[in-house]
Amino acid sequence: MITIKLHTFRVALLTAGVASMFDPALAQDATIAELTKPASSVSAGIGYWTDDRRQQGIYDGMRDRGPYGLLDLDVVKRDDATGTWLTFSGRNLGLTTREFRGEWLRQGDIGAFIEYSRIPRDNPYIVNTGLQGIGSDRLIVSGAGATAFGFGNIDLGTVRDVANLGFFKHLMPGLNFRVNFKNDRKEGTRMWGRGGAPEFAVEPIDSTTRQLDARLDYTGKVFQLSGGYYGSWYNNAYNLVNTTLNGGAAATQYFLSLPLDNEAHQVYLDGGMNFTASTRGTLKIQYTRATQDERLPTRDIAGLSLATAPTNLDGQVDTTLVQLGLTSRPTSRLSLAANLRYHDVREKTPQARYVQTGAGTCATTATCVDNTPLSFRTLTGKVEGTYRLPMQFSVIGGVDLRNQDRTIPVGAGSINVAGVDRQRYVPFRADIDETTYRVQLRRSMSETVNGSVAFLHSKRDGSAYSLTNETESDEINPIHIADRKRNKWRASLDWMPAEQLSFQFNIEDARDKYGTSAARPYGLRDGDAVLYSVDANYALNDKWQVNAYYSHDKTKATQFGQRATTGTAAPAEKLAQLEDVGNAFGVGVQGRTSERLRIGMDLQWIRNESKYPETITLTGAGTVFPAGITGPLPEIDNKLIRLKLFAAYALQKSSELRFDVIHERWETNDWTWQFANGTPFVYGTATDGTMVLADPKQTSNFVGVRYIHRFR
Amino acid sequence: MKVVRIVAAMATCMLAALATSAATAASAPKDLVLKGDAKCTTCHDEGDSPRVLEIGKTRHGTIADRRVGTCTSCHGESDKHIADAEKGGKKPAPPDVAFGPKAPTPVNARNGACLSCHQGGTRIHWQSSTHAARDVACSSCHQIHTAHDKARDRYTQTETCFKCHKEQRAQINRPSHHPVVEGKMSCSSCHNVHGDNPKQLARASVNETCFSCHMEKRGPFVHNHQPVQEDCGICHNPHGTTIANLLKSRPPFLCQECHSHTSHPSQASGLPTARTTGTTALGSVARGCLNCHTNIHGSNSTQNSATAGRFRR
Repeated sequence: MITIKLHTFRVALLTAGVASMFDPALAQDATIAELTKPASSVSAGIGYWTDDRRQQGIYDGMRDRGPYGLLDLDVVKRDDATGTWLTFSGRNLGLTTREFRGEWLRQGDIGAFIEYSRIPRDNPYIVNTGLQGIGSDRLIVSGAGATAFGFGNIDLGTVRDVANLGFFKHLMPGLNFRVNFKNDRKEGTRMWGRGGAPEFAVEPIDSTTRQLDARLDYTGKVFQLSGGYYGSWYNNAYNLVNTTLNGGAAATQYFLSLPLDNEAHQVYLDGGMNFTASTRGTLKIQYTRATQDERLPTRDIAGLSLATAPTNLDGQVDTTLVQLGLTSRPTSRLSLAANLRYHDVREKTPQARYVQTGAGTCATTATCVDNTPLSFRTLTGKVEGTYRLPMQFSVIGGVDLRNQDRTIPVGAGSINVAGVDRQRYVPFRADIDETTYRVQLRRSMSETVNGSVAFLHSKRDGSAYSLTNETESDEINPIHIADRKRNKWRASLDWMPAEQLSFQFNIEDARDKYGTSAARPYGLRDGDAVLYSVDANYALNDKWQVNAYYSHDKTKATQFGQRATTGTAAPAEKLAQLEDVGNAFGVGVQGRTSERLRIGMDLQWIRNESKYPETITLTGAGTVFPAGITGPLPEIDNKLIRLKLFAAYALQKSSELRFDVIHERWETNDWTWQFANGTPFVYGTATDGTMVLADPKQTSNFVGVRYIHRFR
Repeated sequence: MKVVRIVAAMATCMLAALATSAATAASAPKDLVLKGDAKCTTCHDEGDSPRVLEIGKTRHGTIADRRVGTCTSCHGESDKHIADAEKGGKKPAPPDVAFGPKAPTPVNARNGACLSCHQGGTRIHWQSSTHAARDVACSSCHQIHTAHDKARDRYTQTETCFKCHKEQRAQINRPSHHPVVEGKMSCSSCHNVHGDNPKQLARASVNETCFSCHMEKRGPFVHNHQPVQEDCGICHNPHGTTIANLLKSRPPFLCQECHSHTSHPSQASGLPTARTTGTTALGSVARGCLNCHTNIHGSNSTQNSATAGRFRR
């Protein structure tokens, strides 16, 4: 029996093979099915990093030396008769960065999906501390001598678990309903400060963010409308952290506030209408109400709040957005676009006094603090025209206008004297106006050369400054509201000298000049930014491709300020000339050495240098720096080299083995966590004692092997 | 017996092949993927341009969805292209609507082909977007004839965006960055590249966009920090920087862009030579000014005036 079955099978096989040989239609069907039917794959393997990668492994779930499981899935099934898709994709399933998505969809009718993604963020530093209570809302800092705690290394970091659910229903021709719900749970710990003193603390993180978006989309040939509701909720498990110093006096107990629960509800409407074949109008309306009304945690602790202070902030911010847009192409050569946008953020939180130390009038014998509700309205308008010239050239010109109007949150009543806001530490402008002119010449759709040159000029100024209660504070032009002139050039060129070879060149140059005056000499004076880059692609033949890029960027800022007398240090004026230089180079090669073997290489070299020279000109008697401080700050140099190699060998038509090798080298001389002599920074003098170490050189190698199987 | 069976099988195959060939020759050209695509796929078949047929793997190739068109829905009737091809010889005229980098079809017409179905939802404002104004075609970013469109995959999307956005390519590889390189976020996590919000953001403003993940910064707080409430981008560069927490500049320089107080806020930059708690020595090292002003995004504390209003607690 067995022999007969075997013969029957062999003959059947032979028949099918020969039939396909003689019937090209059968062979063609198989080829077409392979080209047109969705395919699935599974990839499983193992990899190994030879050393820790505290800097480069912050987010990728492979920070520590050791083995890692490599598992990816991509399953796609489609029922052609009904257009029903069933898909499941999973990535990094063997790592802490795992994620998956499952979807069922009857295309054009109804569908739903579920997504999950874990996003870790590991702190790159080694922290040696005696701090007790990490991860909770009660922290105790190590004292001195007998009150010191035992020390140990701790790992800090957060993990986000993001889940997303979605549903879609096609209701009638042109009309769809969609709803999305996203739940983002974040847990872990974050480096912090104790606030009352420069001491180490750790913020406990246990919060949940939820977002719901439900919308109806109507899409017609002439008219489109989309409207819905977007709600978002933030919930924090902690609202206050109680910190004490072991053995410290009662006055060294500090309560650190945390973000409180808040929520926002938005209704929105987007519309578009084609008035004619060449003219279209759009509309955007949004109204949002955000509130924060959780009970203030310090309100219930004796001595931490004014007796008459509200127990809740009753915070409310209403935001209105209205935008109208018009685009038109009156002739085949000319197109125009214009829009007007009104964005109003209005904080309606009642103003109240929360703090008062001392008795009597706030402006004289007492120090008082009110909450500071802030409102601002931004009105922007844009007009732009494009005119198409012969030889595929076009010229674009445009003007942008931006007006911002803020409501100055001055303290109520007795806090302020003669127009001076005693609660503020920075001068303030109610109105800001900015006008931007743009012009661009571009050539597109040429056989071999495309490119553009653009120039932008903008000017920002505003109303008179409202004053603070301190002369020196008033002498600055705050960066975001200061007078500013900006000139920006941008040029790009795509050049294809041969079918197989292409280049892309980019140059960008931006220069900002900030306004100063005799009464207000301090702040940022100017800022420059340049970027050059070149990209090249070369297809040697059908089997081999090479690409490479180089990019260079430099940003500079000149910042002028005053320094008050500090200890032995004299009063002075400071001129800092900050500079950041970035260089990046990459080259990639991919090819096929045979029908079965593909190989490739990708090299990345990145260097970032930062310079902080600061010239100090003394304006009085004293030393340049206070005792125990040296300057200026040293330069910082960050370097990364990453070389990736891969080889994929096809075992069969539907399966392959892939080998990956990575060499990664990260090097820095960043002194952020160091004293002037290069030793690790330590908090406190006698107490605390937390030491933070950054590993300046991290070299690690990765080897990985995967088996990949494709199927239908 | 075995030989007889084999001969019989071969004979059956040959007859079947002959019969099939005859039938094929007699019938009209058959659609390969889409309804009515024979007009195109008689030439653009698996031998001529196999990648074209891969549209069958996509949503555009799901013919059970009656909204799905055929080749000519996007490429136009292309009569001249077909007539030239039938004549043979010279290279035929391009289709009425062609999408390649050197295609003569104006970008407006190329995008019109896509927008005839995809104008709704988050693409309502496409025409007034910066991308549209700069003649970016849908096909500049999207690959239609493939199951795996790089622009729609978080892990590969940057390859598309960085073709033009070189500054962001440089920034995203800096030591402090969002997890874009690692594939946990993509450009479209924050940007709606089909929309016309400022900076083509996904939401109406910078802050609204940032709050979708960093909602703890939304407040309102008892003590608001004014620039924080207005624009996260005043202090942070979300694409990447060399300073922790995506800061644009390093404390104390960053803080001194606005603050010029007497006492320690005006300190010159410098590093302490030894352990200290002096505030004039700690503006540059460790967390800089944030060593003490730890709740810099806003505070809800009501503990005494010197700390509450200055984001220390």
